[in-house]
Amino acid sequence: MGMTLAEKLLASHTDDGKAVAGDVIEAHIDLLMVHEVLGSRIIPILKEMDFKHVWDPNRIIVVNDHWAPASDINSAEIHRRNRNFVREQGISNFCDVDCGISHQILPERGLVAPGDLIIGSDSHSTTYGAFNAFSTGLAATDSALILATGMSWFMVPETIRIEVNGKLSKMVMSKDLILRILKDLGPDGANYKSIEFQGTTIDNMDVGPRMTMCNMTVEAGAKCSPMMVNHFVESWMKDVAPSRKWTPTKPDDDAVYVKRLTYDLDKDPLGPMVATPDNPTNGQPVTEVSGVPIDQAFIGSCTNGRIDDLEIAAKILKGKKIRKGVRLIITPASKETYIHALHEGLVEIFMDAGAIVTNSTCGACVGGHLGVLGAGEVCISSTNRNFRGRMGHKDSSIYLASPATVAASALEGAITDPRRA
Amino acid sequence: MTRNFTNISGRAWVFGSDIDTDQIIQGQYLTILDYSEMAKHTFEIPRPLFASKVKKNDIVIAGRNFGGGSSREEAPKVLLESGVGCVIAESFARIFYRNGFNVGLPLLIAHNAAKLVKDGDTVSVNLVEGTITIRRSGDVIHGKPLTGRILNLLSAGGAVQWYRKTVGKR
Ligand code: SF4
Repeated sequence: MGMTLAEKLLASHTDDGKAVAGDVIEAHIDLLMVHEVLGSRIIPILKEMDFKHVWDPNRIIVVNDHWAPASDINSAEIHRRNRNFVREQGISNFCDVDCGISHQILPERGLVAPGDLIIGSDSHSTTYGAFNAFSTGLAATDSALILATGMSWFMVPETIRIEVNGKLSKMVMSKDLILRILKDLGPDGANYKSIEFQGTTIDNMDVGPRMTMCNMTVEAGAKCSPMMVNHFVESWMKDVAPSRKWTPTKPDDDAVYVKRLTYDLDKDPLGPMVATPDNPTNGQPVTEVSGVPIDQAFIGSCTNGRIDDLEIAAKILKGKKIRKGVRLIITPASKETYIHALHEGLVEIFMDAGAIVTNSTCGACVGGHLGVLGAGEVCISSTNRNFRGRMGHKDSSIYLASPATVAASALEGAITDPRRA
Repeated sequence: MTRNFTNISGRAWVFGSDIDTDQIIQGQYLTILDYSEMAKHTFEIPRPLFASKVKKNDIVIAGRNFGGGSSREEAPKVLLESGVGCVIAESFARIFYRNGFNVGLPLLIAHNAAKLVKDGDTVSVNLVEGTITIRRSGDVIHGKPLTGRILNLLSAGGAVQWYRKTVGKR
């Protein structure tokens, strides 16, 4: 019987080389990413475990990204603990508060390669599927056990195969595509499962937009969402990690899938999508919600804070002013993205338009700082979650959309179709 | 630690489907380092009175996809800290399901429990048999019994204690 991508990727990390959907296996982890959860939750667990040393200091990366720089005394304490931990344990892969968001930093530093098994103490660790890796999020206790042993147990997931063919239209981004797919799957439509993306749209998609899609598969409950290597991934790897050796993993032709979805974008063109409050799977065509007034527009996060996202926003905002009374907050996903945007002159375009450009952090996305919503406020956001209270007050509401739709909406002060901006 | 897995009795708090982790504990409270402080904000959005009214061994009952969203282990932790004896749902989100047992919070999968049990009913749960008995009517709901590996984790008091007893001893 043939194997899916998830089965193959997991099988290559077990002692006996086996992994069949439904099996519980023990696997060796290539890389573990931990963020503030290290200082707040994992370190106290390690103390209970009588932990002495990490299994391999070169296979761990610590990132201070959620509340960077510290937004209050508690986050300052968490960051302090993380700094001490990396020093004591001799961990060289450390990104302090000046770096940006973990899911952007790992690929930028060449720490993600095709074939890898990567765990993050963060649910959006599915992002690295864009690079043909098996990656998923686990929480504090599992991360603590991995820090000690380098191993974890997994139930090998069943796979949903999603094939997308054709071209995305103008001003329609991979964010719109994933919002559409999430709408079809529902909030638990991929629970415990792997989503395997296939098709010409995915083959021709650059690394950034691929990451956006894999980032959000967890909103339907997916465990992982590996894609196949394409030439964008190949040239990315050449740039960031020229000396790393890797081989692409492909599923077998007779692999077993529990479900198949197919989209043909040429026959059935997709327009911009907006997910209405309070779930990312509430996607609707932008035309259905156009005109809803907004207080804040946010472009950033591990979903859509990359250079291609900032470029399209700048294209829409160039030479224009955002509507009076609306705040537009732009948070580049990483320092590297920020510098790139500076060189391209994007930051100036944003500031001229009336936007606030913040340092690279999770910030507003997690309701932490730099854009927290007040009671009754409405935000349109390029992030991945619009749960009630996610970005601030419990009576605020969040609409999720692409950076193009967010930028167009900031100009109008209301949800706006970017094709009309 | 010896734990009672065959008769966890308490008041039922009934919820709908898709209760995400922000509804259990909001992101803004994650920097609180002390769990007893954090637990004061449990279910603050959907049930503002929960934290002040919950009693030891109360049972949380929900529909589909309980605990979706963030990987935050704080979600099962604040439930445990609040005294919740068991969470029953039609289905659990993947990471929450793993986290619950890791921190020692019993989770039971049972269809229809959220429809048959009324908020405030007294119920008793038997994890080994996977049953929920409604005190008021005497009705019994059958869920999925917990088995070996998971009962071991729970009786050790969670994954850390299990590690201390097994891997850490090697
Ligand atoms: S940007 Fe938002 S979704 Fe991404 S890791 Fe940070 S808090 Fe999580």
